Amino acid sequence: MINISHLSHVYPGTRKSPPRMAIDDLSLVIDDGEFCILSGPNGSGKSTLFRILCGMALPSSGTISIGGFDLLAEPAKARAQMAVVFQSPAVDKHLSVAENLRLQATLYGLKGSDYQERLAEAVDWTDLKDRLADKVDTLSGGLARQVELAKCLLTRPSILLLDEPTTGLDPSSRRNFIAALHKIQRSRKMTVLMTSHIFSEAEDADRVAIMKGGRLLALDSPQDLRAKLGREMVVVQSRQAESLEAKIRADLGLKTRQYGDEIRLEETCNGDSLPVLEQLLARYRADIDSIAIKQPTLEDVFIHMTGKTAEQIEREQLESHTS
Amino acid sequence: MIRVALALAQREFTRFIRQPQRVIGTVAQPILFWLFLGSGFSSSFRAPGMEHISYLEYFYPGVMLMMMLFASIFSSITIIEDRDAGFLQSVLVAPVSRLAIVLGKVLGGTAIAMVQTLIFTIAAPFLGLSLSWGSLCLLIGAYVLSSMGFAAMGFFFAWPMRSSSGFHAIMMVFLMPLWMLSGALFPIEKVPGWLHILMTINPVAHALVLMRTPFYMTAAQAFADQRYLIALAVTAVWTSACLLGSMALVEKRDKGVPTPR
Repeated sequence: MINISHLSHVYPGTRKSPPRMAIDDLSLVIDDGEFCILSGPNGSGKSTLFRILCGMALPSSGTISIGGFDLLAEPAKARAQMAVVFQSPAVDKHLSVAENLRLQATLYGLKGSDYQERLAEAVDWTDLKDRLADKVDTLSGGLARQVELAKCLLTRPSILLLDEPTTGLDPSSRRNFIAALHKIQRSRKMTVLMTSHIFSEAEDADRVAIMKGGRLLALDSPQDLRAKLGREMVVVQSRQAESLEAKIRADLGLKTRQYGDEIRLEETCNGDSLPVLEQLLARYRADIDSIAIKQPTLEDVFIHMTGKTAEQIEREQLESHTS
Repeated sequence: MIRVALALAQREFTRFIRQPQRVIGTVAQPILFWLFLGSGFSSSFRAPGMEHISYLEYFYPGVMLMMMLFASIFSSITIIEDRDAGFLQSVLVAPVSRLAIVLGKVLGGTAIAMVQTLIFTIAAPFLGLSLSWGSLCLLIGAYVLSSMGFAAMGFFFAWPMRSSSGFHAIMMVFLMPLWMLSGALFPIEKVPGWLHILMTINPVAHALVLMRTPFYMTAAQAFADQRYLIALAVTAVWTSACLLGSMALVEKRDKGVPTPR
């Protein structure tokens, strides 16, 4: 179990910038055996939260217990409960798969027959059986990620933390990785906390947490999150989104939200969507580039909650990577 | 803790021997330095009280010190690489003693330096230097202690660095002068006063005494020599201080400032 209680983190200011609050009185409990996805736009505080959870940073205030141990007071005991998959690969590319795994085993005090048994068990979940002697350098991106998963499984953690583990993988490797992760999580009843921007990954999670501005905006199962948005919505694409939105509000009295070129009528009741769509087309055909009825996805929930579209987040991410 | 440190050190060593360019570079460069500078200065070098010593011979222990310096610099650069590549984070989140993390790097660097200096020791008989078994033990002890000191000092400087070019700058203005003013290149006796002071307080100069003495004294003579004992004490203190300082750096975690409310 991960128990985060009233956690705040403020980065010290410099001469040019004031102190910045990254996490603001956050409380979150992740139960044993739960698969939880943590999502949020850049700057939402999820990376800071991740750093604190792995024990790399100390928060300003608040408490965290991991598997019953106080992470801040007894970091070594808390660390022994968990394994971490980082966004940037944490394997040594110059060493073979087996050498990487043996090093990890030593770090966690595993040796002898114990190690052999766990090695067989950990590798069994992956496609690495024939590649143990190969240098990690020679593996594909997907397989290299599996080495990290195997490394983590070696120590039989009760808690697994993953930070955007599928970044940089092609869609099929991504799907394999997530499928393997779910299988392992279920069979070992592990507690998993994974940060992700990819909403297809979140659909199978037990709960999804959405953060923004250092606070928790929502924490619910994917089904319940979708239900919060009503069942359907009408999505209009327009180059004059701003003026069109004003017109729709004034003429029809409908509730709208605008995200860039998109106008969304999110609170359309079931069965009302088609008449609304016909009405909009009849009145504003010239202003509309495209129009559709959509079942809400988790991505839509995210957009609704954070006020940002997936493209905006992606662009922000690109910018933060290049700067 | 020792097991973890040795496993990390073994990784360093494995990485080193898998990069043949690094092996060739670190072994060949000091030898070239020694042969060229040593031969070139031989005719003009006459140190007071050491008239019978050729520069090639004078410079010999200094080159050993240089090998250790280079080995420690290269192994410290790998700290920055490990951080960039992401390997370091998996070590940091493991439930291991922070001293083991420092010792892993330091012992790895020491092992690499040892291989080089031991190969280089083969040159001693050709210079007419003979070593008794006792002196050889002293010499190896000096190798281990000084290599650890250099590696720990490199660690201390490299840990807070985020780029290897920044580390190169530090190395050039700090680590290299320590070696240059150790008495490796020229003896301390005839230098101007200000330089004499700098050279006396330089801890690396004491490591050089540990390196040079075994060639000219037996073990019993060395342990009776006050200068040798002082050098041994200074080097031991300096090495432990660097190890402890490095450990304190690794242990430090970014702390959030108190919330304004």
